[in-house]
Amino acid sequence: MLQLDAVGLRYGDGPEVLRDVSFRLAPGQFAFLTGASGAGKTSLLRLLFLALKPTRGRIDMFGEDVLSLRRKTLPALRRRIGVVFQDFRLLDHLSTFDNVALPLRIQGQRPEVYGPDVESLLQWVGLGDKLHAMPSVLSGGEKQRAAIARAVISKPDILLADEPTGNVDKALAQRLLHLFAQLNKQGTTVLFATHDESLLRQIKAPVFHLEEGRLLTP
Amino acid sequence: MTVAKPGAIIPSSAAPLRTLTAVMAVMCFLAVLAVGAMELINRAVAQWASGLASEVTVQLPQLSTRDMDKDLTALTQVIAGIEGVKGVTILDRAEGEKLLAPWIGTEGLDALPIPRLIRVVVDDKRQPDFLVMEQTLQEAVPTARLDTHRRWEAELRRMASTLTWLSSLILVLISLSAVAMVIFASRAVLEANRETVDVLHIAGADDGFIAGEINRRFIATGLWAGLIGLAAGMAMFFVLGHWDVAENNGVASAARALFYLPQEKDWSSLAWFLLVPVGATVIALVTSRITLRRMLREVR
Repeated sequence: MLQLDAVGLRYGDGPEVLRDVSFRLAPGQFAFLTGASGAGKTSLLRLLFLALKPTRGRIDMFGEDVLSLRRKTLPALRRRIGVVFQDFRLLDHLSTFDNVALPLRIQGQRPEVYGPDVESLLQWVGLGDKLHAMPSVLSGGEKQRAAIARAVISKPDILLADEPTGNVDKALAQRLLHLFAQLNKQGTTVLFATHDESLLRQIKAPVFHLEEGRLLTP
Repeated sequence: MTVAKPGAIIPSSAAPLRTLTAVMAVMCFLAVLAVGAMELINRAVAQWASGLASEVTVQLPQLSTRDMDKDLTALTQVIAGIEGVKGVTILDRAEGEKLLAPWIGTEGLDALPIPRLIRVVVDDKRQPDFLVMEQTLQEAVPTARLDTHRRWEAELRRMASTLTWLSSLILVLISLSAVAMVIFASRAVLEANRETVDVLHIAGADDGFIAGEINRRFIATGLWAGLIGLAAGMAMFFVLGHWDVAENNGVASAARALFYLPQEKDWSSLAWFLLVPVGATVIALVTSRITLRRMLREVR
């Protein structure tokens, strides 16, 4: 599914923010990525959702060497990756329903086709009564659940979560974590980045710990 | 479940193109004026040239050694017999003086040896051979000179051609300015929607999809600007044509003529005006698409 070998990353001429990062995620696995702020979690995730190219090393994703991918093949690969951000990144001018439906619209599906799927997923994440609400009127937890629904609506092979509980209270953080665990049980590979140590104890899963750009062995 | 129409991914509020619409409308207005001026010139020249082509003049200078009346009669008879001639009229001295009046006035003309003129109307579809005609005339009256107005016609056509080129150049410059405006606006819209574009990329959208979503706004902008410019330009010609009807002003009557098809109903001349909104839409569509795709290519 996903394998990194001696991956390094630097921005421009700056110092390396990731150094010799190597790990492997098997299909259907759940793993935590943790580390203090600035340890390189977000940079690593940006590599994994193909927003950046590593400056050295090798990343294999779904059997493809990411470095040798041509730009026009990236969208197809990105459709197999779901991403959840700490700041939700919902589009404020679209309703909750339209935000969640976005990946399916991008794939060219018609509203008549994706409508029932989007509605039932929003019911599942507890937003059945917020279909037409705009993000500005949603609470932090509701926004995050909408963002998670958007990330999984197209049934991605892997779900990357960058501090998805960073903007919600502890109780809601645990509920969100269980939502990810449920998705994992349904077959989605999950890499859950968090600096909240308490969450790590909730689920038995390998923890990749980043420290100053280096990955400590789990 | 009732399926609502999905919201625009790039809504009009996220891509305000009012300034671009206004500037492009002004450009389209100028383009309509340039097209109209070109059309007026071409129609006027075609009309003048056809008048010149259907008429020639025979000049007979006043010489003390010649009998003017005898020469005029002889020439008239010769001309009437030439194939392709439809009519012959001898202009009397007063008419000749009238023709010269704009250049030398009306005072003291009696003392001048003003040449007499014979107006010859020819069949413009089956014109006589003018070289042979001049030869025939000079055999009858050696001092006769044939003026076919070819030099004037050539001058007219040269002037029309220069003005048409000038109008075309203006149209090209207007188009280039519009292209530059659309490039700036496309960059501004993409920058203003950078976060949305990031989300779309992450969700698996390709450049064509993103450019297409933004492009829709530009197509509407180009079309609206073109239609506003066309309406304003035509209104301008209408006002110009009906401002000073009583005075029989040349510009006014030419502008008025734009609203009435010529007798041969040459619709193609009016189609040039419709090309303005079509051109504006195509410029907006193609330029913004190329600009957006180039910019998106810079993002991984």
